[in-house]
Amino acid sequence: MVSLTIFRIICTSEALHILPKLFANRRCLSKTSIYATLCKNFINFSSKDTQNNSCFKPVSESTGKHVSSLLRTFSTASEKLNCWNCGHSVEQTPAFFCIFCNFVQPPDEGASYFQIMDCDQTFALDTQRLQKRYLDLQRTLHPDNYTHKTVKEQEFSEYQSALVNKAYRTLLKPLSRGLYMLELKGMHIQEGTDAGADPTFLMELMEINEALDGARSREEVDKIGAATREKLNDLTKRIEASLHKGELQAAKAFLVQMKYFANIEDKQDQ
Amino acid sequence: MAGLVAKKCITPLVVIRRLTYPEYAAQAAYHKKVVDHYENPRNVGSLDKTSKNVGTGLVGAPACGDVMKLQIEVDDQGKIVDARFKTFGCGSAIASSSLVTEWVKGKSIAEAMTIKNTDIAKELCLPPVKLHCSMLAEDAIKAALQDYRVKQQDIEIEAVKASN
Repeated sequence: MVSLTIFRIICTSEALHILPKLFANRRCLSKTSIYATLCKNFINFSSKDTQNNSCFKPVSESTGKHVSSLLRTFSTASEKLNCWNCGHSVEQTPAFFCIFCNFVQPPDEGASYFQIMDCDQTFALDTQRLQKRYLDLQRTLHPDNYTHKTVKEQEFSEYQSALVNKAYRTLLKPLSRGLYMLELKGMHIQEGTDAGADPTFLMELMEINEALDGARSREEVDKIGAATREKLNDLTKRIEASLHKGELQAAKAFLVQMKYFANIEDKQDQ
Repeated sequence: MAGLVAKKCITPLVVIRRLTYPEYAAQAAYHKKVVDHYENPRNVGSLDKTSKNVGTGLVGAPACGDVMKLQIEVDDQGKIVDARFKTFGCGSAIASSSLVTEWVKGKSIAEAMTIKNTDIAKELCLPPVKLHCSMLAEDAIKAALQDYRVKQQDIEIEAVKASN
């Protein structure tokens, strides 16, 4: 209803004279004609039937969008992102939908996975909350909901949905979460051999792998699996402590160890 | 044995075989040479690491979590007579280490030192994303040769001490 008030203020006879000139200056001649028609329609409506509001609503919603986009052309250029559909300023980060017209937005380039999934940037994560957020987001973003919408909306919904999937998968597992947190701080695990690797540790890994390979019964496999899981839990605690204290190098070393044990755990399932 | 060792990569191999477009298959599939090493493993096993003629190289790749062990047996003339490997990782890593064990047999220590990861990658037609596997194999053979050299030096030092 705010938009209608603005309409009334603008749609004075004087304004109608001035505005076309302003529009011409800004080279928005097409918008001028639309605006003039809208004003005319509004005046007709208001004069005919002020009591019955029901027929106003469909007109006012669409005109509301137009007004906001037109008003935007008057306002000074801002650095913030604007909705591609209605032009309203997109306030929140990350923005999935425009708060004004509720159209799906393209993914925010600068948003981290933690911001997308609305979680604190810590290693200790509430996976229940993460899962709930994931389901809530996909309920509104999934491309299946956009089959009857415009191509642009379908495209944006695909990008957003894929990004949410990626964020969820990365943050769900401790290993990928830890590695992502290091990446955010500019630390990567380099490709190739680790020259400073502890030979005793590698030998231990080799032995576990060989034992798993040579295991003939399900019990043996389970035993190795249980030992590996214990090791992984221990490493998870150590990584949490290191990241909490900001000891990135120590966290990196533990994450590397975790990678080896995670591979063993994957093999165990086969 | 190799089956369990490399089972991690059997799923992509199975999937890739189903691809029918030859151009796409050439890009996305493991090269047939890699598949050959995977299905017909050669020189898989261990040598006695305590033996004075055996050099053991043990390397790991942190990014992908692969571990590779490569062992060489050298005769008194300094020629490599036997080589064995055990690799836990992807098909390309297994193939790279398998190829290295094939190549070093019959070579001298100096010749074996000249093996480069680029040669391995070229022979197996490894895609760019798998080049680090050939690097791992090169590091493994160098580590094995280094281990053998250190052992020989220790033996010499022992011999000198004993004679004094």
